[in-house]
Amino acid sequence: MSVSLEARGLVKTYRDGERRVEVLKGADLAVSPGEMVAIVGPSGSGKSTLLHLLGGLDRADSGRVTVGGEDLSALSAKELAGFRNRTIGFVFQFHQLLPDFTALENVMLPGRIAGWVPRRALERARSLLAEVGLEAREDHFPSQLSGGERQRVALCRALALDPPLLLADEPTGNLDPASGARVLDLLLALQERHGTTGVLVTHNPEVAGRCAKVAVLDEGILKPRDPALRGP
Amino acid sequence: MRRRLVTSRLPFPAILALRYLWSTRRDAFVTFLSAVALSAITLGVAALILSLAALSGFQHVLRSEILSRTPDVEIELPASTGAAAVTAAERAIRGVEGVVEVQQVIRGRGWLTAAGRVVPAELVGFGGPLPPSFPDPDPAPEAVEDRGGDGLWVSKSLAASWFLEPGDVVDVVSPRPTLTPLGPRPRVRSIRLAGTYAAGKVAEEESAALPLDVAESLFGTGRRELLVDAGGGERALAVAGRLGAVLPDGARVSTWQDLNRPLFFALRLERVFLFLGVSLIVLVAALALLADLALIIANKRQDVGMLLTLGSTPERLRRAFLLLGTLLALGGTALGTGIGVSLAVLFDRLHLLRLPGDVFFVEYVPFLVRPGDLVLILTVTLALAMAASFYGAHKAAALDPVEALRR
Repeated sequence: MSVSLEARGLVKTYRDGERRVEVLKGADLAVSPGEMVAIVGPSGSGKSTLLHLLGGLDRADSGRVTVGGEDLSALSAKELAGFRNRTIGFVFQFHQLLPDFTALENVMLPGRIAGWVPRRALERARSLLAEVGLEAREDHFPSQLSGGERQRVALCRALALDPPLLLADEPTGNLDPASGARVLDLLLALQERHGTTGVLVTHNPEVAGRCAKVAVLDEGILKPRDPALRGP
Repeated sequence: MRRRLVTSRLPFPAILALRYLWSTRRDAFVTFLSAVALSAITLGVAALILSLAALSGFQHVLRSEILSRTPDVEIELPASTGAAAVTAAERAIRGVEGVVEVQQVIRGRGWLTAAGRVVPAELVGFGGPLPPSFPDPDPAPEAVEDRGGDGLWVSKSLAASWFLEPGDVVDVVSPRPTLTPLGPRPRVRSIRLAGTYAAGKVAEEESAALPLDVAESLFGTGRRELLVDAGGGERALAVAGRLGAVLPDGARVSTWQDLNRPLFFALRLERVFLFLGVSLIVLVAALALLADLALIIANKRQDVGMLLTLGSTPERLRRAFLLLGTLLALGGTALGTGIGVSLAVLFDRLHLLRLPGDVFFVEYVPFLVRPGDLVLILTVTLALAMAASFYGAHKAAALDPVEALRR
């Protein structure tokens, strides 16, 4: 299942004491269902901020984000939480696995939060870990896994509820080149297999080049290399 | 066991709380702080239980001692009431439902003197059985009657210090003068000692019991009272309520509660202040719990951020951390209760804490654990602990997911 993603005129400003830092100055983005789009830009350009707005983790000062036709700004905090749980999968640079839960339990978390019966969450988690070749490591804690294995578990967790939208923030940024390449291959393969719409934020042009389309975040504005990404 | 937790049907906040409770042992400093909080709560609860049990024990002994010497109902008749009217009132009271026994007494103050020694005393003239304020008579009053007469009853300690034996003569002196050809002189009656009674260690002055007619000759009939035995406790209070209908105008009815009201109030106040004082330990323990939770939440900041990202609501996270704090508090409370109650029972059964008999009215510290006290202690402890947990839980739930995820 996949959805479309659209962002219009996103503005986000942070206050740093007396100073106002305008990170996004009217970013526009349109992603078709099933597409994987990369957003590139130098460090500090606001890529993560943009991703947070697209995923409903933060609210823009102005502008609108629509996922599958749902305007995120119209949702209450509780509705937004539920929407994130059902609709969006997140993969972060530093895996963000819960260290007190095993690999299997981490992948079960979205299902338990959604209120799934434990057996359903367990079977789904097992299936995903097998898909990424980690069935033998399901009872290991994150501290017992390598960097690449942790990121694969994070990927499984992101896909636990088969979300229509996948957001990845520098998913290979903390990995060595070999592990990073394996994780990226896996991410793209899973995205394509599950038909998930995706946005991948990276500062690495090689990683960006693996995606169907690329946009550049420059001076707070998105400038897609592909004009179609600007939307109508 | 770990797998069983996440695959169990427990609600998500409970899973989180139990997992974090288990995982605190992996961080040495968190473990230390958790142990401190747990120990503080344990100590506070145990201290509260022991303190209140000791106080309850003392107060129980004191109340029993005092109540055993207090009549169920005391009726003070107006000074103008004649002997016939008193007798009529006594007869009428006997007919009231619940009355077991009634006796007349006359109270006065005077002196006891024998073999050159003098001591001031409260003198109680009685008809019928020895009044309750003269317990443990020796010899038994029936044996005295068998010997053919009434007599004077003094405290065992006075008899021992004056080397008095039953049959010895003691002069009872009243300040109410009698006119003689030589002028006014105090009234004196020589009475044979009938026996002794056990004066309580709380008694501050001598009391002596003597026959009613002798008291009448010494003091007149002014301070005549009727003492009613109504089976004690609540029954006595109920009987007191029925007496007004059969008593002459001006009669004043006092129950055992009325007679000891200032004492009972003081005892209650003592309990309140002791509870408040020792509860400060529990308050400190709650603050230790607050600090412990704050550290746990600080350590779990990124977890909170990720859980919010995954779609958990702040409310569920608040419940998880509140439950975590409550579980820690419950553990400490259970341990403290076990230790406190066990020690109290042990100390009481084995009389482990001895007291000097010449200073205290008991020879060992009595411990009495009252269920009502336990309920109060547990309620206050858990309430304080939950209040401390609520602050941390609220802070955790208020975390911004983006900020929480930052490294």
